[in-house]
Amino acid sequence: MTSHIRNFCIIAHVDHGKSTLADRLLHLTGTVPDRDTTEQILDSMDLEREKGVTIKASAVRMNYTAKGGEAYELNLIDTPGHVDFGYEVSRALKACEGAVLVVDATQGIEAQTLANLYQALDADLAIIPVINKIDLPSARPDEVAEDIASLLGVKADEVIRISAKDGLNVDQVLESIVRRVPPPKDDSASRLRALIFDSHYDSYKGVIAYIRVFEGSIKPTDTLHTFATRADMKPVEIGIFAPDMKPVQNLTAGEVGYIATGLKTVHDCRVGDTITLASAPAPDPLPGYRHPKPMVFAGIYPVEADDYPELRESLDKLQLNDASLTFDPETSQALGFGFRAGFLGLFHMEIVQERIEREYLLDVLFTAPSVEYEVLMINDEIITVDSPAELPDDESKIAEIREPWMTIEIITPTEYYGPIMDLVTKRRGIYKSQEYPAPHRVQLDFEIPLSEIIVDFFDELKSRTKGYASLDYQFLEYRPDELQKLEILVNGEPVDALAAIVHKKDAYHKGQRMITKLKEIIPRQLFDVAIQASAGGRVISRANVKATRKDVLAKCYGGDITRKKKLLEKQKRGKKRLKMVGNVEIPQEAFMAVLKLEEE
Amino acid sequence: MSYSLYFHIPFCTHRCAYCDFNTYAGQEDSIPAYVDALCKEIEFVGQSSHAERSGSTVEAHTLFFGGGTPSLLSPKRFEKILRTIRDHFDLIEDVEITVEANPGTVSFDDLKTLHSLGINRISFGVQSANPEELRMLERIHDFFDVIDAVEWARKAGFDNLNLDLIYGLPEQTLTSWRATVQRILDLHPEHISAYALTLEHGTPFGRWSARGLLPIPDPDLAADMYEWASEAFDAAGYGQYEISNWARVKDESRKLKDKSAAGSSSFIFYPSSFECRHNLQYWRGLPYLGFGAGAHGYANNYRYSNTLRIKTYIERMNEYRKSNIEFPLSPATVNQHHQSVGDDMSEYMMTGLRLTREGIAAPAFRRRFGRELSEVYSREINDLIQLGLLEWHEEACEGYESSQALRLTRRGRLLGNQVFIRFVE
Repeated sequence: MTSHIRNFCIIAHVDHGKSTLADRLLHLTGTVPDRDTTEQILDSMDLEREKGVTIKASAVRMNYTAKGGEAYELNLIDTPGHVDFGYEVSRALKACEGAVLVVDATQGIEAQTLANLYQALDADLAIIPVINKIDLPSARPDEVAEDIASLLGVKADEVIRISAKDGLNVDQVLESIVRRVPPPKDDSASRLRALIFDSHYDSYKGVIAYIRVFEGSIKPTDTLHTFATRADMKPVEIGIFAPDMKPVQNLTAGEVGYIATGLKTVHDCRVGDTITLASAPAPDPLPGYRHPKPMVFAGIYPVEADDYPELRESLDKLQLNDASLTFDPETSQALGFGFRAGFLGLFHMEIVQERIEREYLLDVLFTAPSVEYEVLMINDEIITVDSPAELPDDESKIAEIREPWMTIEIITPTEYYGPIMDLVTKRRGIYKSQEYPAPHRVQLDFEIPLSEIIVDFFDELKSRTKGYASLDYQFLEYRPDELQKLEILVNGEPVDALAAIVHKKDAYHKGQRMITKLKEIIPRQLFDVAIQASAGGRVISRANVKATRKDVLAKCYGGDITRKKKLLEKQKRGKKRLKMVGNVEIPQEAFMAVLKLEEE
Repeated sequence: MSYSLYFHIPFCTHRCAYCDFNTYAGQEDSIPAYVDALCKEIEFVGQSSHAERSGSTVEAHTLFFGGGTPSLLSPKRFEKILRTIRDHFDLIEDVEITVEANPGTVSFDDLKTLHSLGINRISFGVQSANPEELRMLERIHDFFDVIDAVEWARKAGFDNLNLDLIYGLPEQTLTSWRATVQRILDLHPEHISAYALTLEHGTPFGRWSARGLLPIPDPDLAADMYEWASEAFDAAGYGQYEISNWARVKDESRKLKDKSAAGSSSFIFYPSSFECRHNLQYWRGLPYLGFGAGAHGYANNYRYSNTLRIKTYIERMNEYRKSNIEFPLSPATVNQHHQSVGDDMSEYMMTGLRLTREGIAAPAFRRRFGRELSEVYSREINDLIQLGLLEWHEEACEGYESSQALRLTRRGRLLGNQVFIRFVE
């Protein structure tokens, strides 16, 4: 019987209050006893709490007695709130029949509001529109309600106005879920098909698969099989999140829960894959499985070479929980032994970096991010290059270089139209179309090379629009362009970690900016240091960091040797953090310098 | 082993804008109580040294009154302090007794009395001969005061004067610096110290420059100033013996290269000059005792320092109960570090290499640590020689075998930190 089950998710733009609402629902249904110490229960990682975004989806079962007196089982499926995790979002949506669309009363509709909404509509979900933060002085609930109404084709007064923070009108949200979200189809007699919409690694129970059963049912004793990864497993247990893991004897069609698979890595248990019974498999998987493909690549190096094994271990552990993180060993002349890692996007990369530093207490250096290029050689061979240093030096052997292009969608108050057009066209973007989803708001669609948006594009967009514009993007295709390698030489030696692949028309000014920047960053050494930028076999910019002449403490007063020694020790520690390239000491920030080239 | 004794006088009528020393303006009322407390500390350490050394008295060959502005004390108070010192320590026959003085706070009569008390070296904080620069530094004196002070000191009988200078000032030019150096040389001091300005955190200079109100001195220009001054001092007969210090040779003992005596080896040997023996004690890693608020000492395997504040210092010296405070510490001591051999060795390198002429003699290192300098630090030394910052120097002494000493090269003198950091942790 599924008539008293409701599976729903909450969709929202970053910071519009999704987690606060989820938290509030859990309290209101008594799933979590009180407003206890940890706020925002669904975000289990510190980092998520700090960034105010949900990185991994999660699912909680709530028992709710509606106003009519009937008891319902509500399954809240939380979705990642960032553009890098679009595929995970789509799978979480697939697991639901309804979505609560949360819009901030002070911000209005933004890019991810729309992107998520369109995905939810694609998945045929019932939409419950909600305006949050109506308690704030700058709230414009009437205006936002009109916008939502015209977007969804509903009446403005059907939009529920809440303050998740204060709990205001949140009960109406629960009632609407019961009333307006359809129950799941009751198909327990068919062969088992369950969708994996998330997973995490548990050191005792192995990989925990978060699943939605569409057809059939699962018992703890069943042997299960995954379609895409072809893994067989005897579950350790099956259960529900209430909100902690609670074993059950049966999960049937329409229900949401977990399978403790006993699998050792999340790579055998991919989001989007379908689980069936090994003994009586369903003929086909559920549609829509996609293998996540990293889009952004960067070198990760330990600041202290001795930390290499620890870095490896931390990446291994992160990967247990993060199937979209890839890494392979890489060696750099400049930076020594490290890894080439692939990420879904820049935000994903930032999260990995912070987790390595914070959870594993490692000092690491990330090189400037790169995309994956396809290089067609004149002998028709195609090689893929995700690290600029790997691009063959001999341009005459290269027929064509192709790079990934994206479609991007920017939603902004209309007054920032100009600055955004300027930003996008400067970065080789092509204008496609525009729409006005709400008064004073314009949606601009462009095509743009991914390489142009992984480096400070989002920051630049925010600063040009005082933080009002929002962005969503998706992979489009590979396209050829006039690309070439920009190399940086320090005292005549090319520094692999500073190489970049740039458009020919940008090589000159990017080279100059790079040199200017490096000249500021590289401290004066005991000898002159020449820095040069070269592209297409010729030097396009050069500068000299003159040898330092004076670095000595003038005085040790009154025999205070201790203080002097401390100063020297501090200076020495600072020096240790520099990277030796040949005999030149280069601060770590130099390797991120390419990220800051756009500043005028 | 002969000790050096340092006495800190933390009083100033005005605090200079660049100064981060332990000194206080407007607390001159505390001088009498402070001098009493200082005498108590001298007595305390003198007695504990007796106990430690089974009755024998510590011998001292230098005394140094630093500040602050020691010249703010009246001669009577110096007399009292010196008497207390002589009561508790053995001063050698030609003890060096230095008093730091602000040229604006001395009089001929006072200088005469100080000289009669046995004080034989005055160190004047001149800093600059340029009125604009003196004003910017917020010094209370002008250069006319300096001329008077030097003349009075000479008349009072002082034949060992140091003049302190600061270069690398904001907006200072090479021209104004040359003029200052020239004015200083005209006064014929026996000793010159020239320190590069350091912008210290917590001083008005530090704050002004952090807020962009004061141009940060250009390090290349400061290097030019240093090199120009080195040459000028050299040409005027001053020998550099430390990174920031130059001294004249004492005429009567000056020995130039003597080909007939030493065969073909040619060298200039300065057995006796006006080098400051007190400061040499620090740099050579020899023991010194520190008295007064914020004073530092190094003896009996301790590096230690006293409480900084005047009031606390006086209280501590007045209220202590005799307990088991070990020599060289006193009731005013607030920091103490028991030195490991590693500490000593690294500090020996760090301070010894400041001595530009003598450097660190291999036999002296061997005598002190029982190990070979060239082995303990072989990698560091090789690297730094490669970089042109260190050199081995053959030092020959009349009647002795020549020995190897490690010292800074000319270029290394301005890059001392790059050398020293190789010897610290």
